[in-house]
Amino acid sequence: MSTSEANATPREYPWRMPANWWTRSRHYFWYIVREFTAVPLALWLLWLLVEIKRAGDGPARYSPHGSAPFVIFSVVVLLFSLYHSFTFLSLAGSILHFKLLDRPVSASVIVMSQFAAWAVASGVIGFFLVWLGR
Amino acid sequence: MDFESYDVLVVGGGLAGLRAAIAAVEANPRVKVGLVSKVYPMRSHTVSAEGGAAAVMRPEDSYQTHAFDTIKGSDYLADQDVVEAFVREAPLEIIQMEHWGCPWSRDPDGKISVRPFGGMTTWRTCFAADKSGFHMLHTVFQTSLKYPQITRHDEAFVTKLLIEDSRCVGVVALDIRTGRFDAITAKTTILATGGLGRVYAFSTNGNICTGDGMALAYRAGVGLKDMEMVQFHPTGLPFTGILITEAVRGEGGYLLNNGGERFLKRYVPNKMELGPRDIISRAMITEFEEGRGFEGPHGKYMHLDVRHLGEAVIDRKLPFMRELGREFVGIDIVKDPIPVRPVQHYMMGGVDADISGETPILGLYAAGECANVGLNGGNRLGSNSLSECLVFGAAAGRAAAHYASSAKPVTANPVDAMLWDEAHRVETEYLEKKSGNERIAVIREEMQKEMDDGAGVFRTREGLSKLVRNLGGLRERFEKVKIEDSSRTFNTEILAALELDFMLEVSSAVAFSALAREESRGAHARRDFPERDDAKFLKHTLAFHTKTLAPRLEYRDVTITNFKPQARTY
Amino acid sequence: MPEKRISIHATRYDPEHDKEPRLQTYDIPFSDESMVVLDALNYIKSHVDGSLSYRWSCRMGICGSCGMMVNGTPKLTCSAFLRDYWPRAVVVQPLNNFPLIRDLVIDMDDFMHKLKSIKPWIIRKQEIPLGAGEHRQTSDQIDEFRQFSECINCMLCYAACPVYGLNNEFLGPAATALARRYNLDSRDEGLKQRLPVLAESEGVWECSFVGECSVVCPKGVDPAKAIQQTKLDTTMRFVLPYGNRE
Repeated sequence: MSTSEANATPREYPWRMPANWWTRSRHYFWYIVREFTAVPLALWLLWLLVEIKRAGDGPARYSPHGSAPFVIFSVVVLLFSLYHSFTFLSLAGSILHFKLLDRPVSASVIVMSQFAAWAVASGVIGFFLVWLGR
Repeated sequence: MDFESYDVLVVGGGLAGLRAAIAAVEANPRVKVGLVSKVYPMRSHTVSAEGGAAAVMRPEDSYQTHAFDTIKGSDYLADQDVVEAFVREAPLEIIQMEHWGCPWSRDPDGKISVRPFGGMTTWRTCFAADKSGFHMLHTVFQTSLKYPQITRHDEAFVTKLLIEDSRCVGVVALDIRTGRFDAITAKTTILATGGLGRVYAFSTNGNICTGDGMALAYRAGVGLKDMEMVQFHPTGLPFTGILITEAVRGEGGYLLNNGGERFLKRYVPNKMELGPRDIISRAMITEFEEGRGFEGPHGKYMHLDVRHLGEAVIDRKLPFMRELGREFVGIDIVKDPIPVRPVQHYMMGGVDADISGETPILGLYAAGECANVGLNGGNRLGSNSLSECLVFGAAAGRAAAHYASSAKPVTANPVDAMLWDEAHRVETEYLEKKSGNERIAVIREEMQKEMDDGAGVFRTREGLSKLVRNLGGLRERFEKVKIEDSSRTFNTEILAALELDFMLEVSSAVAFSALAREESRGAHARRDFPERDDAKFLKHTLAFHTKTLAPRLEYRDVTITNFKPQARTY
Repeated sequence: MPEKRISIHATRYDPEHDKEPRLQTYDIPFSDESMVVLDALNYIKSHVDGSLSYRWSCRMGICGSCGMMVNGTPKLTCSAFLRDYWPRAVVVQPLNNFPLIRDLVIDMDDFMHKLKSIKPWIIRKQEIPLGAGEHRQTSDQIDEFRQFSECINCMLCYAACPVYGLNNEFLGPAATALARRYNLDSRDEGLKQRLPVLAESEGVWECSFVGECSVVCPKGVDPAKAIQQTKLDTTMRFVLPYGNRE
């Protein structure tokens, strides 16, 4: 007896993902770029941990500004993190589902309000940092 | 030999087959149901139905009027007891589909919405936008997954019914993936294999609609009923034959000739675009013949115009039509008229079955388009067929489950021999034969052209006689068919050959039945016999398989209950 | 004028004779501007080589059978027009990410199992009898799930999903979209039963949002959205065990 659910056909040719699959479409390529930007971000955060540890040992050992290459690295990482924030917040429009006065809130409103909240949060944090550092 | 045995075996995974499988399990949760289909069930041609399913859903409607509309639409060839039972069951089936999750379009109060449809005197067609068949099929298929009693055999092609002592005890099926023949035995077998549209060149039907179940039953000795009754839908897209739903006219679309005139005023003045399909198709052909059609690269056509409905209505109620126009014609139906012409669409005729789907062979049932239970007569009304699949699919499933609970089990011994014979037949006739020189596709294309020419909207004795002769010639050439594909794995060429074998069989039944019906009734319009002849032909044609191509024809009286035949004007 | 022609390179693979798939070239007449890739395959099968195998039926973009890779992109071949490729050749291959049975025919049983695993049917605590009539449902309530109910199971989204290509245990786009379709239906009370499947290790969290599933969907379904929304569902269930709709 044969049900197609019961036995698989013999000698099917299995799917093998080619190693260069991510070069085969522009979308895949940018997806991989997006995923890989997380690596320098992680490195930068490790460095930050080291800096915090040093700061704990007293002001003498603390030298946060480092070298010019590192400043450049930090700027690149900042751009990457902005890119991540941007893709994440843009996504919110399609994930979140709100109703206001019985009407669904449009995706663009959700996305814009996310960015607004982001800007406000950044402003508040910036203000406190400056205020504390004074 | 090892074989699977079921209480109920359903052949065909479309709306009728799936509904039958579920009904069998719900009637008796202990039955084992097998579902064999040559495609994955959600590929079945139900998926292409667009307009909706008819049922009495409103207080202002009545069973009486739905029955009368159906009987008048059938040109009095429907069995009236069957119609009366059908109209009572249909609303329950619509509700059942709703409970299973069908996304029926709704009225503002949240109730299931209805739309007008051709030949119906009031609004009674329930719809899921203009993808009703798609949504119904996926709903019932997905629902069927919750029943552990149902085992599917996907992509298995039934080549023969197993008949033992005049009782059907299952089928022989070719597992398409492995090329292996299996006996799938069962106490009862339900045929729900759909239509035969592919015997015509210009058809709305998908590639899989090859009349398999009709041919299987025919060869097993069951009569094919009213095979001359082939429905031509007025609005198919030229070239592809893609269906433009009648709901386009239901929602208010106009059918216009090359003078921009709503020409139906000369044919169905009281119904206009909502006339029945047979009459509108004839009207269009008549207009073409009198020079009032548009000329295009793929033949003559008319305009179906919905521009006046506005974008909002079109997007709400006919979104798929807009999609089809954009994808396949390159027009936006909001701004452009749709080119349409009559196209083969549906088979009223089919396996002779009664109100509960029983055929004259014990243990064999039929439902849906492949069956003729006596509902549609000479012309089916649009939106009755989806309801028919539900009502009569469920009836056949219940009847089969009931009979299976008392039927004696199937024994392996004769089945093994029958399986071996059938496997041997297909092997020698197709796979191992090296001598042939005829291409399957060439014979198929010639058959399709012959059917278009000889058994189209209008028929004549000359045309049908020629068709009968030529089908005979094609049958002879088919004996010399060549199979290039020697593989056992997913050999679609063998399938095409087996399907063509079936199609030649059922198209002969169509041609001979049509030649013998010397009157015009419903979709069967004879130029040489333009009038309906109730004295001689208020009867069902029954075609029985013989050793030659010509079937033995018998006639059976139509059941009349409350509606005396009258002149059919709209 | 010489007859217009087009080259079709189609994958051939017969497990009984071939070690691996190869491309075979067919040069066929491009006789009508309305021809689609499927028409080209049908021409080949009818008049050139009867042994070419592929699935198709409705040729109107609704049965979901004829999905293949056309010049590297998953497409329904019934609505991929030759005129959009000509005079370039057209490479027709089986859908990526699936085991190959024969020529252009893939094995999609994996999806059939996944579809069943998400319980794609209405689940209710208490079924109402038929005699009670229909559930009331407004057009707005249908709009909540409408797009996810438009899935034709054509597998283009799975062919486009590298996550599925790398790990076929992943539940994947269409199955999640259909789970979402039922979870969002006002008649359904089955969210709790479906969440364990959706939230398990090979469920929605495998998705790293490539987004290509939604790009290739021929029916305007947005499975990527369904998956991200389902991530939110599974999170909310973790954060607020009793807060969400059952």
